Amino acid sequence: IIIFKLLFIVYRNFPFKFFDTLSHVRKRNMSFFGVCGCCGALRPRYKRLVDNIFPEDPEDGLVKANMEKLTFYALSAPEKLDRIGAYLSERLSRDVARHRYGYVCIAMEALDQLLMACHCQSINLFVESFLKMVRKLLESDKPSLQILGTNSFVKFANIEEDTPSYHRSYDFFVSRFSEMCHSSYEDPDIRTKIRMAGIKGLQGVVRKTVNDELQANIWDPQHMDKIVPSLLFNLQSGERTESRSPSPLQATEKEKESPVELTERCFRELLGRAAYGNIKNAVTPVLMHLDNHSLWEGKTFAVRCFKIIMYSIQSQHSHLVIQQLLGHLDANSKNSATVRAGIVEVLLEAAAIAASGSVGPTVLEVFNTLLRQLRLSVDYELTGCYDGSTNIGTKIIKAHEERQLQEAVIRTIGSFANTLPTYQRSEVMLFIMGKIPVPGVHPALSSKDSGPEGTRMIQVMLLKSLVQVTAGFDTTNMLTALPTSFLEPLLSFSLTEDPEIRLLVLQILLSLIDRHDNAPKFLNVSIISDISVLKLKVDKCSRQDNLFMKKHGQQLYRHIYLGCKEESSGQQHYEALFALLGLLSMELANEEVVVDLIRLALALQDLALSTDEALPVFNRCAIHAVAAAYLNLICQLTTVPAFCQHIHEVIELRQKETPYLLPEDVFIENPKLPSSLEKVEGEVLFLQSKITEVLGGSGYNTDRLATPYVPQYTDEDRLSKRKSIGETISLQGEVESRNSPEKEEEITFETLKNAIVDSVGMEEQERERRRQVVEKFQKAPFEEIAAHCGARATLLQSKLNQIFEITIRPPPSPSGTISSGYGQTQSRSVPIYEMKFPDLCVY
Amino acid sequence: MLSFKVMYCQCICLCILQFSMSMEDYDYLFKIVLIGNAGVGKTCLVRRFTQGLFPPGQGATIGVDFMIKTVEIKGEKVKLQIWDTAGQERFRSITQSYYRSANALILTYDITCEDSFRCLPEWLREIEQYANNQVVTILVGNKIDLAEKREVVRQRAEDFAQSQSMLYLETSAKESDNVEKLFLDLACELIREAKQNKLDNNDTAPMPGEGKAISYLSCCSVV
Repeated sequence: IIIFKLLFIVYRNFPFKFFDTLSHVRKRNMSFFGVCGCCGALRPRYKRLVDNIFPEDPEDGLVKANMEKLTFYALSAPEKLDRIGAYLSERLSRDVARHRYGYVCIAMEALDQLLMACHCQSINLFVESFLKMVRKLLESDKPSLQILGTNSFVKFANIEEDTPSYHRSYDFFVSRFSEMCHSSYEDPDIRTKIRMAGIKGLQGVVRKTVNDELQANIWDPQHMDKIVPSLLFNLQSGERTESRSPSPLQATEKEKESPVELTERCFRELLGRAAYGNIKNAVTPVLMHLDNHSLWEGKTFAVRCFKIIMYSIQSQHSHLVIQQLLGHLDANSKNSATVRAGIVEVLLEAAAIAASGSVGPTVLEVFNTLLRQLRLSVDYELTGCYDGSTNIGTKIIKAHEERQLQEAVIRTIGSFANTLPTYQRSEVMLFIMGKIPVPGVHPALSSKDSGPEGTRMIQVMLLKSLVQVTAGFDTTNMLTALPTSFLEPLLSFSLTEDPEIRLLVLQILLSLIDRHDNAPKFLNVSIISDISVLKLKVDKCSRQDNLFMKKHGQQLYRHIYLGCKEESSGQQHYEALFALLGLLSMELANEEVVVDLIRLALALQDLALSTDEALPVFNRCAIHAVAAAYLNLICQLTTVPAFCQHIHEVIELRQKETPYLLPEDVFIENPKLPSSLEKVEGEVLFLQSKITEVLGGSGYNTDRLATPYVPQYTDEDRLSKRKSIGETISLQGEVESRNSPEKEEEITFETLKNAIVDSVGMEEQERERRRQVVEKFQKAPFEEIAAHCGARATLLQSKLNQIFEITIRPPPSPSGTISSGYGQTQSRSVPIYEMKFPDLCVY
Repeated sequence: MLSFKVMYCQCICLCILQFSMSMEDYDYLFKIVLIGNAGVGKTCLVRRFTQGLFPPGQGATIGVDFMIKTVEIKGEKVKLQIWDTAGQERFRSITQSYYRSANALILTYDITCEDSFRCLPEWLREIEQYANNQVVTILVGNKIDLAEKREVVRQRAEDFAQSQSMLYLETSAKESDNVEKLFLDLACELIREAKQNKLDNNDTAPMPGEGKAISYLSCCSVV
């Protein structure tokens, strides 16, 4: 021994050119000791100490006293650790080979104790042989040894080392533990044990490597592709068996952790440690696994997985997951509707969890993807096949599945929008608006083969998405939140023949204007004798609100008026229109607006009376009812007693004589209406003169009140439809009416005041417009500019043409708007929504 | 001081090297992965080779299975780490991750099942995509004990294997025909390649089965 020690000291201090020779010497020494192995006295001390810990009979277990001696020796001579480890491991492999499992366990126990007792710095010397032994155990096909090895590994993994190690490779462990997670051992108990050992092992590997920069990166796809599916497999299989047999027996065993819980914990830990760059590698295998095991259809598991993911990862990374999901959705756009619906469902849940962080920096990209899916789904539903003709007729598209998908997409859009701040939300609203095809206006944008039906469906879908986006929309400044470029196209939709679309537009308007949750209180049209029961919430109308009404008030009134006039309007429409009137007076009313609204209500009454329009009886009654209900509301809001009295009188009289003119009788399931509505006159009508009189007494603008309301028509009406020959006539009529006193009056004092107040806003608008023009010329492709310039050159010509063609078809785009001679309409030549996203608009 | 440290470290590394060499119970370690359609008999081949039994009514493999066997070839101990993968489509993502580190792939088909043969090009694409490009691939037609039900003629398979420059062998896990030969041939081939690599690269690059020892040296040069 002394010789050996001396040699070793010499060996340590010699310059390294003598290494080779020395190592030979040592090797010879070693073999010498090997030969004399039988004579214990000549064996090195560490070997004797190691041998002594093994009892005669493996049943007796580790010899505690000797183990202490060994530990003491190892601690006092840490440089010997490597050799102790090596010798132990040699013994262990021999015992494994000879099936002496008792000794194997003892050796492992000793190793564990040594590992725990040693200081961090010295572990490095020892770990190599330790890992070799664990590997040896894992290689055996005895489950007990595998579990033994794993447990030791886990103990080792929990030791925090402070010195990095260069030469450990965990490849085998990752592979083997992943394999154990999939164990299909016959005995279910043992199988569960092996699988749990596998999971624990993976957890250990992750713990060991995740913070060690010198390790092969555990986040590499080659490892993640093994770890993640193994975890998911256990998560999923556990779920399956649990739901199958929740027997009372299992309940008692619940105290032990089930593999599913363990897996979930491990999965969460893994994700919690993922840094920005690693999220992708961790999530991709999840997507793959869900694909391969076709788990999207079932939804529940996929949703559960992503809930775990979203709750576990660091919140600032959540948008990465969303992006990956969106990318996956795109990749699956040719897959069956149920798969897509599953992904969308997951997106919905994930977005809700990630809340504000879910959308990330690419807001419009998120919405663009969702809208594209919506569009694809509509196309699939209409054409009945996926356009890729490669998969010939293998998949039959089920319309109802596509419908479900569309609903899910729309809900998801809403859920994303809810996470956005107001300014981004209005941006998104504009974006969606820009995508809505206007028939005949953007022929290039409307879907290729689906024709008018497709266009309509897309309109409906996109408007539904808008309804979702606008739900809960709350802005302090209406003017910036609802720019002209959004409001105008929206309102133009409110004049289409399609009742469904009109209703959607009304819903959007309602949720936009409603800022104090008053809308639900107006859902039913009814005469309420005391409106305080509604507990309406009112804020003072701000300056911006006044500006907004000045700018857009007339448009809104007109649309309400024309909306009432539509024959196809049903109960829901009238309810929505009433709510809109109510909300306008709650949210945006100043004195002037109140006057206008009263005029509007009276004009509605006139509309219901007039015989020019061939309106059905129901519509007439409904209009009467809406007017009555609204006047009842507004009179109580103005709190002018005489006004209230007049309204009350009329209503009371109606209740007696003509109940079919009141909402309570009209808006029910089977309203009892007279076959014709001939003699509605006298006391049952609200009188303009009377109202003017009583309101004039309270300081309202009587001049204005006395003038009956006549809706102003603008060019945008023509965007919607109107194709009859009668149209031209009415158009001329409109032009005349515009030049009539009504218009004249507008231009007087009011307009001047407006001009002064608005001038700042106008200037800004002008500047914005210039900026856009410059931007357009800078960014747009050459062809576009050329086309634009060309268009300008032929503007006059086209104007003329368009005026002639008006009766045949609507003008090609709002940018070329003609407007029979109104400079005002020309100035907003190119709507912002078209310019901002030129490339995104193109499908 | 620094030079002393370097020396010390080298010394330790050498010690470990020596011990690990003396302690290691094999000369070569090779990872072999079995792939092929579901139900062609991959698991049975492995069981026959490692445990010498033919499990009747063997269920479908879940994910991956692992076996180990040490054989001696010309006096050298060769440890074969055999990863037996599931053929089912749904486990494809996890099985693919095992190709990468494989030294050899055993691509298996069932001679009584035309379909399993027709899928071979698909498997080859997978190999191309996921496996290391130096991997040794051998094509195996299993179940020759069911000769009367044969659907794929030997010649056809041989031609196919030749065109893809693969080795070809027909086996029966049930009758234990050619199973031993399959793995031993593969081991010989791998040893040959390893040795050739050693010569070619003049000991610089790690070669299959000996990555361990070399990495110690390279770590020393880093220190």
